[in-house]
Amino acid sequence: MKVIYFILIVSLSFLMPQAYALDLGDTLKDVIKSNVSGKTGNDSKEVSSPDAAKNEKRINFRNPSMDEEIQIGREITGNLLGAAPLVNDAALQKYVNQVGRWVANQSERGNLPWHFGVIESEDINAFAAPGGYVVITKGLYRKLENEAQLAGVLAHEIAHVTKSHHLKILQKSQLLDLGADLLGKQLGKNNQIIQKVIGSGAEICARSLDKNAEFEADRMGVTLTARAGYEPYGLPEVLQTIGQTNKNDNSVALLFKTHPHPDDRLLKLDEAIGNRLDAIKDGKTLSNRFYKLKN
Amino acid sequence: MKMHKFLLMALIVLFLPLMSLAAETGSAIKADVIRAEPYADAKKTGDFKRGEKLQILDKKGAWLKVKTAKTGGWVRLLSVKRGAGGSGNQLAGVLDVASGRAGTGKVVATTGIRGLNEEELKNAKYNEAEVKKLESYTQTSQQGNQFAKSGGLKAVKFNYLPESQQGGEK
Ligand SMILES: [Zn+2]
Repeated sequence: MKVIYFILIVSLSFLMPQAYALDLGDTLKDVIKSNVSGKTGNDSKEVSSPDAAKNEKRINFRNPSMDEEIQIGREITGNLLGAAPLVNDAALQKYVNQVGRWVANQSERGNLPWHFGVIESEDINAFAAPGGYVVITKGLYRKLENEAQLAGVLAHEIAHVTKSHHLKILQKSQLLDLGADLLGKQLGKNNQIIQKVIGSGAEICARSLDKNAEFEADRMGVTLTARAGYEPYGLPEVLQTIGQTNKNDNSVALLFKTHPHPDDRLLKLDEAIGNRLDAIKDGKTLSNRFYKLKN
Repeated sequence: MKMHKFLLMALIVLFLPLMSLAAETGSAIKADVIRAEPYADAKKTGDFKRGEKLQILDKKGAWLKVKTAKTGGWVRLLSVKRGAGGSGNQLAGVLDVASGRAGTGKVVATTGIRGLNEEELKNAKYNEAEVKKLESYTQTSQQGNQFAKSGGLKAVKFNYLPESQQGGEK
């Protein structure tokens, strides 16, 4: 119930002038009320209702609680899995969760219930959604040679989550377009409304982040890999491998569209790393424990 | 006669990795120094310019052993880009050999390839069963630690890398 209410508030907050969107108090409840009861509601100054006051909760999408963040990420991930399901290999899925969980433990958000998965797609790509959902394609997994490289790839995605990169995108653009569409419509179930917030299907996964957010995720990815005791060059090695793929190859089309070219990412990493990793001598690759795909 | 054939086969199998090993090419993504050993303070044996072609012979941690037209030695991994450049080099390289991966796993089924383009993402329909399945594999923080321990991994204290040592970027 709390969640439903939150989503209502989140969705409707963007019907309002921006000045109001930052503070979702009584004003917002009034908007909800007027909207649900069928009145047209661009005006936020409606009469308050005692019923609405019972469920009072001041939530702001700009600073969602952990549960709310997870709810949003879960919806996005559900859509992504609708496009490509999990690889039907429980041992593989468990393995990536073990590696991912250990790496995520090195981040500031070890308290999230992190979920990792390999999906049935020959594309080379990986995705992160708010709340700790991380998915990599079988095509990318195929390119990996050891556990340190897997850790590096997952660490880049973990960094996107800990830095709320995708959440920020939702906050910046998508949500603000919601308004007109929701007005005059019967409000549906909570996940239908989240759907509205995240856009069509899993299109948020095809959005490009700011270039600097990607470079940041690379730097953090290398850091988390090193912290986890792995050979820290796992991620750069994968970037070198992916960089060999022909730009016109369909399998990297989306990755190359949403991320800077691997060569640029490597150059930026090189600038940031310099000799800082020289002290790390006994990082492990664990190639003998690396899970081999069945097909 | 049979023995002879067997030996020949054995020789081929033995030398196959070496052949692909020799075939790994790369190019310099920036100018850098070549050193005698894989250490920052090792003796300089030469250098190369950006874009210079080189051969990759071996890998050790953050270092690659390379050979240029003039000289050879160890360079930082991040100064070199693998592959001939742009053409999508499909050869199993020295890095694959080093990790025991050569000759395996490169076979990609050509039927039933599922892409994941923008259109498919946009039209994707929510699948609750798959999310539940994904969540069923979730590991706790403690399980993660246990897994690390079983592989001999130890957490290392290490600060986040700063944006860039050279500046120039906002
Ligand atoms: Zn990224």
